Amino acid sequence: MVLVLAIGDLHIPHRAADLPPKFKSMLVPGKIQHIICTGNLCIKEVHDYLKSLCPDLHVTRGEYDEDSRYPENKTLTIGQFKLGICHGHQVIPWGDLDSLAMLQRQLDVDILITGHTHQFKAYKHEGGVVINPGSATGAYSSFTYDVNPSFVLMDIDGLRVVLYVYELIDGEVKVDKIDFKKTATTHATH
Amino acid sequence: MNFLIGAFKPACNISITFSDGKTRKQVPMKKENGQTVMVPLFQSQENIAGKISIEPFQGKKIEHNGVKVELLGQIEMFFDRGNFYDFTSLVRELDVPGEIYERKTYPFEFSTVEMPYESYNGVNVRLRYVLKVTISRNYGASIMEYQDFVVRNYSPPPSINNSIKMEVGIEDCLHIEFEYNKSKYHLKDVIIGKIYFLLVRIKIKNMDLEIRRRESTGSGANTHVETETLAKFELMDGAPVRGESIPIRLFLSPYELTPTHRNINNKFSVKYYLNLVLVDEEDRRYFKQQEITIYRLQES
Amino acid sequence: MMLNGAEDEEKWLAEGIAGIQHNAFYMHQALDSNNLREALKYSALMLSELRTSKLSPHKYYELYMRAFDELRKLEMFFKDESKHGVSVVDLYELVQHAGNILPRLYLLCTVGSVYIKSKEAPAKEVLKDLVEMCRGVQHPIRGLFLRSYLAQISRDKLPDIGSEFEGDAETVMDAVEFVLQNFTEMNKLWVRLQHQGPGTVREKREKERNELRDLVGKNLHVLSQIEGVDLEMYKETVLPRIVEQVVNCKDDLAQYYLMDCIIQVFPDEYHLQTLETLLGACPQLQPTVDIKTVLSRLMDRLSNYAASSPDVLPEFLQVEAFAKLSKAIGKVIEAQIDMPAVGAITLYVSLLTFTLRVHPDRLDYVDQVLGACDKKLSTIPKLGDSRATKQVVALLSAPLEKYNDIVTALRLSNYPRVMDHLDNGTNKVMAMVIIQSIMKNSSCISTPDKVEVLFELLKGLIKDMDGADVDELDEEDFKEEQNSVARLIHMLYNDEPEEMLKIICTVRKHTMAGGPKRLPYTVPSLVFSALRLVRRLQGQEGDIVGEEVPATPKKIFQLLTQIIESLSIVPAPELALRLYLQCAEAANDCDLEHVAYDFFTQAFVLYEEEIADSKSQVTAIHLIIGTLQRMSVFGVENRDTLTHKATGYSARLLKKPDQCRAVYACSHLFWVDDQDGLKDGERVLLCLKRALRIANAAQQMANVARGSSGPVTLFVEILNKYLYFFEKGNPQITSAAIQDLIELIKTEMQSDSATPDTASDAFLASMLRYIQFQKQKGGVMGEKFESIKL
Repeated sequence: MVLVLAIGDLHIPHRAADLPPKFKSMLVPGKIQHIICTGNLCIKEVHDYLKSLCPDLHVTRGEYDEDSRYPENKTLTIGQFKLGICHGHQVIPWGDLDSLAMLQRQLDVDILITGHTHQFKAYKHEGGVVINPGSATGAYSSFTYDVNPSFVLMDIDGLRVVLYVYELIDGEVKVDKIDFKKTATTHATH
Repeated sequence: MNFLIGAFKPACNISITFSDGKTRKQVPMKKENGQTVMVPLFQSQENIAGKISIEPFQGKKIEHNGVKVELLGQIEMFFDRGNFYDFTSLVRELDVPGEIYERKTYPFEFSTVEMPYESYNGVNVRLRYVLKVTISRNYGASIMEYQDFVVRNYSPPPSINNSIKMEVGIEDCLHIEFEYNKSKYHLKDVIIGKIYFLLVRIKIKNMDLEIRRRESTGSGANTHVETETLAKFELMDGAPVRGESIPIRLFLSPYELTPTHRNINNKFSVKYYLNLVLVDEEDRRYFKQQEITIYRLQES
Repeated sequence: MMLNGAEDEEKWLAEGIAGIQHNAFYMHQALDSNNLREALKYSALMLSELRTSKLSPHKYYELYMRAFDELRKLEMFFKDESKHGVSVVDLYELVQHAGNILPRLYLLCTVGSVYIKSKEAPAKEVLKDLVEMCRGVQHPIRGLFLRSYLAQISRDKLPDIGSEFEGDAETVMDAVEFVLQNFTEMNKLWVRLQHQGPGTVREKREKERNELRDLVGKNLHVLSQIEGVDLEMYKETVLPRIVEQVVNCKDDLAQYYLMDCIIQVFPDEYHLQTLETLLGACPQLQPTVDIKTVLSRLMDRLSNYAASSPDVLPEFLQVEAFAKLSKAIGKVIEAQIDMPAVGAITLYVSLLTFTLRVHPDRLDYVDQVLGACDKKLSTIPKLGDSRATKQVVALLSAPLEKYNDIVTALRLSNYPRVMDHLDNGTNKVMAMVIIQSIMKNSSCISTPDKVEVLFELLKGLIKDMDGADVDELDEEDFKEEQNSVARLIHMLYNDEPEEMLKIICTVRKHTMAGGPKRLPYTVPSLVFSALRLVRRLQGQEGDIVGEEVPATPKKIFQLLTQIIESLSIVPAPELALRLYLQCAEAANDCDLEHVAYDFFTQAFVLYEEEIADSKSQVTAIHLIIGTLQRMSVFGVENRDTLTHKATGYSARLLKKPDQCRAVYACSHLFWVDDQDGLKDGERVLLCLKRALRIANAAQQMANVARGSSGPVTLFVEILNKYLYFFEKGNPQITSAAIQDLIELIKTEMQSDSATPDTASDAFLASMLRYIQFQKQKGGVMGEKFESIKL
């Protein structure tokens, strides 16, 4: 069992002062094995903060990130899953699931994690799963009026991945659980 | 002078006993040879009575020109050895001339004897009271026997007994005020007092209170003065600062004091002084001496 | 043989101990044979060893302890009259016959102890006599130890309330008198110790003196233990007498120690009720006394006392503790002209701590303390002392920590005044403390006035200060500071749009003065803060009537334009472009076509004139296309203009693959996948065809340049787009075209010159799998895909 934190679009300090305290108290070092961050942190302090939670940090570049060394996209393998990360502002139309599916095909990954829209999404299609963890700070977005702060914790276990979606709604943390199974047959066609 | 006579074989034994000898208080007296003997204690105006018995040795007969007993008050000056001044001399004839063959006892009595001076044994002078029995003889020296006794005279507490209070000092150096609660102390008294330091510019190491006795004998050019320090009592240890007051409490009983004697028979005086001594760190002494009167308080 | 000082001392101590042991031996013999006279003689001889002047206090103490133990045995002997046959009254006189004072007084105290126990005389009389007689020893060390002995033997014999020595004629008052007198005398001796010996060893002597202080302080401890010393007696007798001695001794070491001692040994409630006396003493102390520490300790104790129970708070109010402390501190500072700034400020810190703990509700008190401190600081030309600076920071931090709320601190009129005294560096540190406090407590600053005050406090971070050395700035620190300011802007918030707008204007006013170095940090936060307001207004648009309303999206957009324009002095074109696009989207949501158009124009100008780096251009183009794709407000004309521009830019990117990708992305500008969206299939196809041409050109260029064809991935990507529009029902995209494209890709991949590219292979495989999947799905989509042959 591997715990992966998927988080992104914090937009500190441009759009938010900090992570919600309730999230901060939940995110403690030593529990998480990997962090996947879709970008827009935007500053080194936030990078350092995430790194303090877990040293295995994978970040892709958002359009507001000061660190220009983050890659546009990145793939990595955790257990039996291949994961792709991309901020998403490069995929037009923004947030469009079909277009994201195309990126997923391009990256050839089981799970694609993107951000940019500040809306939590978990979408399963024939090629795998597309996840958007939303904005961990609930940062302003032109996509939606009220952004609830959210992040996703992925529990990867064998061929199964359980998503825990943490969302701060009216000051309370709500957790949703979504289950995905990788069908071993997906790749069997070739 | 007994030992001079003792050189010869005495012809008889003379004993002097006091009629109240068994009950009368005895006090120690230092003899010339340094020995201390116990002798009866009298005071002025007392009757001195007793018996004198003469017992010839082994059937010898004593032929004499008369037997008498004298009560003598003598002042003996040591530098003038041999000279006695009898300031009191009373005589009682005990027997007319005759012979004594066997033990013979004579009662005697001196009634209400005036003994104004106390016995005193000083450095240069001694004042003694003695009973002297004399058997006068035609041949050979007279036979004499002595019996010392001590006289002490008591005084009531003085009606006026002012404290001694004095401010003394060395300008810009030391300024003190001391106070002794009385000017007259009895022999078992306690001196209470205080020393106030008004100005202290010297580094005092300690302060003592001394009792000094000043004995002066003779008169005119022949005056001899002897001063003895009878007590050296530390009052203070260390250096006080301005405004400090140091208590004095000196018990007189441990010291061998006598009453103050003033001009006894124009022969001598014994006076007492309290000497306050301050010693500084360079061992310089600063002192102030004050006479006090010592008297013998009638014991109740 | 010459010995050095320490060896000498050791030798002397050894001699002293030997002397004590020798005489103690004979004393023991005398005790065993019940020989009083001999016992007195040898005990006096033994005690004579204590007459030495050669030992330091430390060594003298050793000697003293030896004698002390022996005196206990003597006391046991004295107690038993059957052994020596002398009544205790006579014994009391007898020991006074000793000629030397020190042995005499030790013996007197020893008999005195027995005397009191015997109750033959009232305890108070004996105690009075003893304490009086001890005056005879004026030597500081010997006197201190003698009196210490007296204190020791008398401790359990004081006529305290409930003690066996209490009686009608002797009361606790006598006990108090006795201890007070002994204390007074001991203190005098202790103070005098400094004048002993030559001046050159003063330092050593002060150290030695300090070692003896507890002998003196012990008396105060005894006083505090006396049951009968109630508040009344403490107030009327004990404290005034102690204070009198403390003040009169005119010695800084003693004064400091004893004041502290008073504070530590007596109960807090007593302190509270006697503040006047205690505080009244402070200005009378020597100027060199560290009064600030004394007062600080007092205030600390009182603060703790106040915190111990809410029941005691009325006491504080009743005695007007704050006013008294405040006044006392003022007087001390006034009296001690030479007190360094740090001392004065430390006092104010303590007073403030006290105030915050005891009177948290009295903000006026807090402000008063700050005001007093400001006044003091104004008399100091420059706060150069780092310790003083630290104290000022502590002073300013205390209210923040207490209230956990900067808003409260912002009501303190003297707060900024005090802060102004700090040097630039520390001022910034303090500003950071303030921001951190706001962050930590998630405090919301909700009025323009408070924002104004806050920014006044933070001005060290907001703009360049006079005299600040720009070269000294540490890049990391500066970044951290500015990011903090940027974060802070999100904490300035009011639900009322008008108020919020005022806040934004206030922030703008201040941040615009920050210069080119700061603007890139502060502008984005300000922009998003304003956009949030727009978002809110947009929500209530229906309610907004008339022209008079100040807070309208339009106005805010004007403001936003100005704010973003300010970045031009930096310059920061990439950031500005992003912000313009954000604004454009917001204007779109507000249905403000011209405004949105204007923002786009601004963005385009920046793109054309300022963004030269190709990589930046690629990102910018994607943002432009992405944003434009989402715009619904534009009429045909404006839209065409902007789309035309965007496609133009796309085709002019430096690298062919970038061109290709940008161009196929532009296809989405003509096909918006919602009900009312624009659906111009032809132009979509044109875009895709154009992309294909570029991909071909790229392939050929690769051939020419490297002798092998480039990766086919661009073709696969375009294929993807074909499939996308095919699925969306764009009639211009036919299955035949898709078929052709697949064939083209396959050919390309199999060509000899093709570079092996597993990524593209996998991509294509994945594509084909997808088509297969769609074909098998059946239904409408299945039918659509039926015609594509793989």
